[in-house]
Amino acid sequence: MSKHPNCRNPRHDKVSRREFLRTTGSAVAGACAVVLVLPEGSAEGVEGADYDWNQHRWVYLVDTTACIGCGSCVRACRAENAVPEGMYRTWIERYEIPAEGEALVDSPSGGEQGFAPVTSSLNVRKAFFVPKICNHCLETPCTQVCPVGASFSTRDGVVLVDQEHCIGCGYCVQACPYGSRYINPTTHTADKCTLCYHRITKGHKTACVEICPVGARQLGDRNDPYDPVNEILATRRVQVLQPELLTRPQCYYLGLDMEVR
Amino acid sequence: MNPESPLIHTKHVFRAALLLLAVIVTLLLGRSLFVPDTWGEYGWYRGAAVDDHRARQVRHLGDDPCAMCHDAESADHSAGVHAQIRCELCHGPVVLHADLEEGEKTGDMPIRRSRELCELCHRELDARPAGFPQIDVREHLSDQGADLTPDACFECHDPHSPY
Repeated sequence: MSKHPNCRNPRHDKVSRREFLRTTGSAVAGACAVVLVLPEGSAEGVEGADYDWNQHRWVYLVDTTACIGCGSCVRACRAENAVPEGMYRTWIERYEIPAEGEALVDSPSGGEQGFAPVTSSLNVRKAFFVPKICNHCLETPCTQVCPVGASFSTRDGVVLVDQEHCIGCGYCVQACPYGSRYINPTTHTADKCTLCYHRITKGHKTACVEICPVGARQLGDRNDPYDPVNEILATRRVQVLQPELLTRPQCYYLGLDMEVR
Repeated sequence: MNPESPLIHTKHVFRAALLLLAVIVTLLLGRSLFVPDTWGEYGWYRGAAVDDHRARQVRHLGDDPCAMCHDAESADHSAGVHAQIRCELCHGPVVLHADLEEGEKTGDMPIRRSRELCELCHRELDARPAGFPQIDVREHLSDQGADLTPDACFECHDPHSPY
């Protein structure tokens, strides 16, 4: 068939319909063949390729009686996850509780560069550090308010944000009662602790757990009966942050004081 | 056509059905355009987002890679009281320093050889657990008759295996 009389495209002179159908057809057939031939488990040999999220349920344990407030976890988290300056996926709070009056709570730069001695003249009788991260709640206020489904819980119990799908509206930042989320100033999307999902699904511990010099932070797997964290949860007295909110946090605390919110 | 015949409305019904079909086709087309491929694979979210998270690079790799080149420091470290302290706590993530697959050094480790580094853990603070070794560095240095220099601690203490 001749080309359209109005067509000025010189390329249309060269390809006949028959030729076009032949080349396109073989290209499509070739592409289909490649898809069919590729084995399904082509990622074998890659670290963590055999990970099955139905076999795990991650929990986190913080021993506030062990934390020395060195801030190594905050620095490791920043280095591992490229957390922007001024934002924190994990941070350390210091509580100084005097015999009478208001408790003094501070977290200078999230505790990233440690803490300086307190200079107040309060008669402090009780003082301690409380490391905090996303609680990876089972009843998540943050994922429930997301209008586009960019925030979700994985089957192994981790709350994640889809960085490609998030529109950065900030509802989840407001909804989290623990202040665990922030808007990433580079990507303009919601960001938070991923429980180092790229690490725990490849057999590593989270960066903060890995780096903690005193074992104040531990990662546990509820589905592993021999997990030491399961043993602690079963036999020791543990608490979660703000249990009255019924968010069912999966970050448990040993030695948590009533002043901590 | 006989105005009594039930077929008199065929045309209208046909037009309405055609319109409905057009709306459904437009909706389906729009959906396939705007809804991501893996949406709903596991729940009301993009299934590929899970893989996006998993695909990220692991940057802290523990003490084993360090021992591959730094035998002496590694032996010192694992025999001392800092044995349970990860190399990367003071030195930063190993990926800044070496390509482990190629076995090549790729950059200098940012070593923070300063008093402040020691003080992060050992400065005397009332919020630290009582049994943890802590010190008032100024007091300690004046007791020892030493100057308050930036790297004063390292004059006497080897950070890999301190006493």
